[in-house]
Order: sequence, then structure tokens, then C-alpha cells
Amino acid sequence: MKPSDPSSLTGWRGLREQPWILAVAVWLPPLVTLLFIAVFVTGSPRALSIGVVDLDHSQQSRALQRLLNANPALELSHSYPSAQEGSKALKQGEILALVIIPTHFNRDLIRGTSPEVTAFYNSQYLLAGKFIASALSQTSFSFAARSGLALRLGQGQSLPQAIAGAAPLRPQITSLYNPGMSYARFLVTSIAPAAWQILIVVSTVLLLGWRLEKAVLPDGFGPRCHACYRLLGPLFLVLWLQGLIMLVLFQSWLGWDPEGNVFWLMVGMALMVLAVQSMAILILAVLPNTVRALSICAAYLAPAFAFMGITFPRGDMNALAWTWGGLMPSTHYMELQVAVADHGAGLSVLLPPLFILLLFLLPLPLAIHSLPSRIIEDPVAQVTP
Amino acid sequence: MNRPQSLWQIWQTELAHIFTDRAVLLVLAGGILFYAVLYPLPYQRNVPGEQAIAVLNQDHTAMARHLVRMADATPQIRVAAHPTSMAETESLLASGIAHGLMIIPAGFERDVYLGRPTTLSFAGDASYFLIYGNVVEGLMSAAMTLSVESQINMSLLQGENPARISGQVMPMRLITKPAFNPTGGYINYIVPAVFVLILHQTLLIAAGSITIKDRGRRRRGFPAPPLGLALLLRLFNFVAIYLLFAMLYFGFFFQLYGVPHVASPSSLLVFSSLFFLTSALFALWLGCLLSRPELPTVIVLLSSLPIVFTAGFAWPADNLPRWLDYLSMLIPAKAGIQGFLAINQMGAPLDTIWREIAVLFGLCLLYGGWLAYLVTHEISPGPSSYPAPAGVST
Repeated sequence: MKPSDPSSLTGWRGLREQPWILAVAVWLPPLVTLLFIAVFVTGSPRALSIGVVDLDHSQQSRALQRLLNANPALELSHSYPSAQEGSKALKQGEILALVIIPTHFNRDLIRGTSPEVTAFYNSQYLLAGKFIASALSQTSFSFAARSGLALRLGQGQSLPQAIAGAAPLRPQITSLYNPGMSYARFLVTSIAPAAWQILIVVSTVLLLGWRLEKAVLPDGFGPRCHACYRLLGPLFLVLWLQGLIMLVLFQSWLGWDPEGNVFWLMVGMALMVLAVQSMAILILAVLPNTVRALSICAAYLAPAFAFMGITFPRGDMNALAWTWGGLMPSTHYMELQVAVADHGAGLSVLLPPLFILLLFLLPLPLAIHSLPSRIIEDPVAQVTP
Repeated sequence: MNRPQSLWQIWQTELAHIFTDRAVLLVLAGGILFYAVLYPLPYQRNVPGEQAIAVLNQDHTAMARHLVRMADATPQIRVAAHPTSMAETESLLASGIAHGLMIIPAGFERDVYLGRPTTLSFAGDASYFLIYGNVVEGLMSAAMTLSVESQINMSLLQGENPARISGQVMPMRLITKPAFNPTGGYINYIVPAVFVLILHQTLLIAAGSITIKDRGRRRRGFPAPPLGLALLLRLFNFVAIYLLFAMLYFGFFFQLYGVPHVASPSSLLVFSSLFFLTSALFALWLGCLLSRPELPTVIVLLSSLPIVFTAGFAWPADNLPRWLDYLSMLIPAKAGIQGFLAINQMGAPLDTIWREIAVLFGLCLLYGGWLAYLVTHEISPGPSSYPAPAGVST
């Protein structure tokens, strides 16, 4: 194979000639976002199957079951004759929670001796488990309020007196920044940027690898910068555009409606692409081998979602995890996205994450300087010692 | 071209493919240990701690102060700010200093004593769900405690029979108990599932890239043992190596992180063998279809997040669109994660997870059969975009 003319090796040509780079930079980003939108299509967990062991078989125990089934989060799909059978089903994952209604439930309810219903929920599946536990609590509260009212009326209290007595305090809960408490909106708007970051790093490493296999990188800092600019500039534009498309998809599918000015988010996305590209160049400069460089990228950025603090708060991580999370551009981008889109925060809150994203560009000159002039991709050389 | 070789020599060649390839060793030695430390790292404190909330107190009475103290005393929240106006409150929330808010309305104490229903407003920052859950749980438990206290006081003042008060205040009680993960901790939730995923993904990278390089060598006419035999030995090697890794992960690291694990060694061995066999066949199949040694890593990087959210532990599989639920079953990791969680964390006997076992058997047949077809019908693999051995002129 003849070495190609180095000046013709632009990013556009790489995208045209390499179907994998084209897929990673052009086709996959919107598809990945749409895939996650499809995963969380129900918005919140819905119709999670629970089982019941009814040891009372009374009017009230059936009323409680009807109320449980009426909660959209729950579906009373199985009924078991004994707690042993129910617990077996819980272990097999057939049901996600088991409600045990005790004997004499009806009698104790009427006597006012506060019968105790036990519910075991699968906390191995933590999100579904917690969701079920809170749905069960809500249902039992409304069941209790109903029977408490009946009890008070039966004891001769007047209706207004009984209502006030049964619920002297009415908590009213507002979920700020995500009115419907949609898991879809919460999770997709943070998973998709994490996936976008992976697509950025993969496409950058693949494109650089392609360039360095095709022809020698010029010596001298100036010419090298120029070659990198002509190679990665087009990719930067494409990936930045992908970020903006991601926001459009959020808006059209998830009802995402940014509180603050999207301009700052667009600036943040540009800096995020540059920051990740800078890290990709650095990794390839340290490890001049596409396979190993990608492995390092996997170690570095694959767990980014866990470290960005959206699911498990960053404030509750230990110092090492907090620092490691800080070394990923996505962490700072998400901080910016939450501040702009959810909180509608002022400029003083937006500037720190933007500034930190800029810091990722500091090693760029050194990385470009120490890039290998050539990568020789020879599988035979890699295998024989 | 193939020289006759003894089985022992072929096996040595296969081992050499693994242990002399620096990219593969980086994944097998470095990756396995690094990921086992890295993935649990964010959750070392296991449950999120106290979250800062702001209290807008418009009723400066003893009962209001009592409520604030009770809220502060719950393990989920701490009162970090006492703003005096709604504008000040909003800026505290926007800057992330406070993640929750309680508004105590004017006339709160008087209304409670007079038996007028009183509204308490809570708000939580739902940009962070775990924080929101904590804030709401803490504020609710403080409000409920105050509610019960005042109900009991009122009933006693009205001369009710104390024996009947419990039934009035709490006509029934629901006790919710976590099964399997008694602390409700994040480590116990994430680690068992993600460890299975790490084993699966590193296996794909290692066995996949070795197969691609081996095909490259064969294509260029380097002497190599019969392809079918080589693949069988490779399969055996990777299953054996990964059984050792499984001992490290499910034994040593589970112990280190205090993850409860209950499966008997024999059922764990049976299920692990099946899982690694399926995953290795999947890896070899990928290796026969892909053309460049970096592509398995690319696929692993791109597929990790989708696998996490379709495997059923982070998001209920029942809630996935039907097509996506079935499509994601084609990846061995999904049945593997569900099976391992069922036998090792939830204590299901091996014979009750026949569904996961059947899926893995089916995938074995699918990828194994396809692989066998490729081996018999395509001795010299089709066009590949291998670069010519640069710098080596023949």
C-alpha cells in the first residue's frame, strides 16, 4: 500500500472512508439517545408484579387488595396460600414484593387494635424495590385513613371532626424541576450525555488511529497542530451537532424544557467535545496503539455515569471517588446541564463548570507534541514477543 | 500450510496468543483488578447521607420550632438554612446549597390546636432522585411524627379511652421489609450485577480480539493449527481462566465489600460454566465477524450502558418495550446477571432459574452453531480491511 498524501487526510475523508468511524460519529449518537428513550418509555415504573398471601379471606382484606391493585405502580399478579410459597416466588424473581395479610385482619380493624400487614420487597433490584415500598406505604396510608374515618364515625364523632382528627397535618409534596417525577426524564437526560461522551472518545481515537496508520504525522509543533486541526476539526463539528440533536430529542420526546438559557449549554457542549478529544489525544500519545488506547478509554470513561453524581450524590462519595469523577468531563458538563436546564441558575453558578471544562485543554499542546508520528498496526508483531 | 502438530503444541500456541499479547494482558490482568476496585468506588458510603434543606418558617411558634428540630433529627436531612423570603429560598435551591424545602405557614400551631386541617408544603430537588427520595422521606417522617403526637394529645384532651387511641391514629400498620439486601445499600445493589457485566465485557474484548488477530495471521498464510480445534481450545482456555476470575470476584471481592452471597459452590460453578461458555462463544462469533482487533473494544464500550439498563436490575425488564426486552436477551450478560442475582443474592435454588438457563443454552446453540457454520464454510475468512503489514516488505 502506498502511503497516502498526508494533506488529503482530513476528518471528512476519514468519515467517508471508514464505515465504523462514520457509524460511531454520525449514525449511532441519535440512535443511542432514542434507545434510552425507548428503555424508559413508561416514564415511571409501572404495573410491577406483586404477590399476596391472604390469611384472613375477609371483606376488608379483599378491599385492601383491590386498593393495592388500583395503584398504577403495582399489579397484584399472584396469590399464594402460604408465606413459604410466596417467599419462593420472591426469590425466583416472579414477583417483586410479597404482602402478607394476617389472620383476624377484619376483626382487629373493627376493634381498633391496629393490625399489622407485612410487605417484603425485593431490594436487590433497589430502584424497583424502593418504588414498590413507597407505593405500598401510600396505599396503606389511604386505606388506614379510610378505615380510621369509619372508626371515628362509628364512635359517634361528627364528619368534620373525624376528618380533622384523622389527618391534622396535610403534607403537600412538590417535586422541583421535574414536575411529573418522570424517571425517564431524569435518567435519559443523564445517561445520554454519558453515552455521547463515550462516542466522542471512541470516534476520536479511531480517527486518529486511522490517520497515523495512513501516513506519518509531520514533525514540528505548528504542522502537527495544523494536521490535528484538519483531522479533528470536522469531527468536532459533527459531534457538537450530535450534542445539540440530543437536546432536541430530549425536548421532543421527554417534554424537557430548559429553565435557563440554552446558549450556555451549547457553549458547554462545545467545551465538552474539545475536552474529551483532548483526553483522547493524550491517551493515544501515551499508548501509541489503538487497541490498548481504547482499553484505557474504557477504563477511564465507561463508568462515567456512576461518577457524575446524578444517581448517587457526589457529595456522599469518598475523596477518591469524588476526585476520579472530577477527572471526567461529563461530570462537569452534567453540573452545567442541571444548573442551566433544571435550576435556571445564574452565571456565577455556570462559570465554574465551564472553566473546569477549559482546564481539560491544558495538556493538549503537550499531547499533540508527543503523539507518535506513525502507528504500525501489525497483528503479527503484537502477538510474537 | 498447516503443519501436523500435537494437541499439546496447539494448546501451547493458544495459550501464547493470550499471554504474549500485551493488549489482552492489559485487559485480563489490569482491567479485571482495576474495574473491581473502580466500579464500587462511588458507593463506599453505601447509603446517601443527610441532605441539606432550607426551612421557610412563617409561624414563629413553639410547635413550628419543634417540627424543625424533629426534621433536623431525622437521619435523612439536616436543616442548613433559614431563609426569610421566597426569593432567598429560590436562590438557595438554584445554587444547589439546599436540595429541599419546607414551608411552615403562618398560623400553623393555632390551626393544629383548633383541629383545622393544616397544609405543610415540602419540596425536593428532583434533578437528583436519591436526594429527592431522602428529603421527602425525612420531611414526611417528621411531619407524621408531629401529626401522631398532636392526634394523641387531642384525643386525650377530648377524654378518649387511651386503649382505643392507637386504633384511631393508626387503624392498620404496614411494615415494609427489604428482602435480600437488608441494608438497602447501593454496593449490594450495583456490585453483584456490574461484576457479572465486567466479566462478560472483558471476555468479549480478550477472546474477540485474539480471534480477529488469529484470522489475520491465517489470512496472510502464517502456519496455524486447524481452525476448529484452535477455537475449541480457545473456548476451553477462556472458560477456565474466567472460572478463576469468578472465584476472585464472587469470592474475594464480595467478601471484601461485604456483599451477601448465598449460592452453594456447586450451583455457582454450574451456572458460571454455562455463562462463560455462552459468553466465550459469543466472543468468538464476534471475532469471526469483525475485521479489526479494536472493534470488540468499541462494541463493549458502546454496549455497556445499554446492557446495564436493559438487564432488569437497574430498571424493571417488564417495563421495557416488548421488542427491546427480547432483543436484549441476545446478549448473554442479561440472562447471566439475572441468573447470578437469583441464585447468589436472592437464594433461589438452581432448578428454579430454568428460564435463565434455557436462554443461555439457546444462545450457546445459536452462536455455537453459527460459529461451526463459519468454520466449515469459510476456511479462509472473507474480505477484511486489515492494513498490510506496514514496514514489512516481502
